Amino acid sequence: MDERELIARARAGEPAAERALYDAHVDRVYRLAYRLAGDDDLARDFTQEAFIRAFERLHTFRGDSQVSTWLHAITTSVALNGLRKVKRFRQRETDLDDAAQVSGGPRLAEPDLKRRLHAAIDALPEGYRTVFLLHDVEGYTHEEIGAVLGVETGTSKAQLSRARAKLREALADFAGEWAS
Amino acid sequence: MTHFERDDRLNDRLLDVARQYHAPLPTPREDMWSAIAAGRQRRFERRRRGLPIRWGLALAAVLVLGVALGRWTMSGRGSIASGPTGVPSDVAYQVAASQYLSRTEVLLTDFRAESRRGRLDPQFLAAARDLLTTTRLMLDSPAAKDQHLKNLLEDLELVLAQITQLPAEPGRQNEMDLINQGMDQHGVLTRLRTATPAGPPSSRAQGAL
Repeated sequence: MDERELIARARAGEPAAERALYDAHVDRVYRLAYRLAGDDDLARDFTQEAFIRAFERLHTFRGDSQVSTWLHAITTSVALNGLRKVKRFRQRETDLDDAAQVSGGPRLAEPDLKRRLHAAIDALPEGYRTVFLLHDVEGYTHEEIGAVLGVETGTSKAQLSRARAKLREALADFAGEWAS
Repeated sequence: MTHFERDDRLNDRLLDVARQYHAPLPTPREDMWSAIAAGRQRRFERRRRGLPIRWGLALAAVLVLGVALGRWTMSGRGSIASGPTGVPSDVAYQVAASQYLSRTEVLLTDFRAESRRGRLDPQFLAAARDLLTTTRLMLDSPAAKDQHLKNLLEDLELVLAQITQLPAEPGRQNEMDLINQGMDQHGVLTRLRTATPAGPPSSRAQGAL
């Protein structure tokens, strides 16, 4: 059964077709949600919400893009909105923790490259981070990113370039250590 | 050139490290599918509970408005442009009846199409239950003073009651065929279309007012 037929059947409320659609796409959707969230519980929540919305809105899918692109757009939107809420919540908790501490703890050992790079990715602005993860980590093309995020291809390219520049800047002191 | 850039790209070693960022776990496929099914069911239940309340309130508001207009006019405190029947409160009932008849016409037309599949989805059944509630309210309202409309409402109540008793599972083709035959024998859709003013629902309401 091709995907077009699968969607038509799922749209008609056929449970087997909905399950087949889910099976075909859940790995990439969960993977994307996990990359953005970095937490299993959040990734599960975002994946579940993305599929619930997709099934509810399947009648609005016109087939202009691939269903995977449409699903990934829903997932990205759900995940980024969810992360903003989580960030606001965690920020409040952090503020309380900071206020409770009289002074900082012992100085941490110099983090290794992995920790530094991951911290630098965390610190990227949301748009840069999303494009970097989609392109350099997950292998999406700029055209796919444009469709998923609803931005021009040029915007995606520019944000990726700025993301890489910021990462290079954050890791500048590792440059000599790894120079070939 | 350093390992940090080859053209604009990060080098392979850095990309390898970057790919370990939030490295996904194996997909908890079955757990999430169960959660999705439960989540959809919860939302469906929430909507089903909400719909009759919203429509019931809207209809009640129209009926109350009709009664208020009637009393106001009878007390001689003002005059209101009357509808075709000449009784001002009937205008409000006409609006309610017009909107109700339009929705019922759409649902029963859909039913014919859906019944070819031999299965009704839960949202359709929820809409039918909602309309059944409204039908009973209409039967208890002054709109049922009109004998033709009353007869139609009684037939619609029977058809909607039969539809709402269908389970949301496949293999009900025979029962659906019987409901369709009953509608044909009593000319329900034809009478419904005759009773429903032409044009979109919004313009029908405006016309009545």
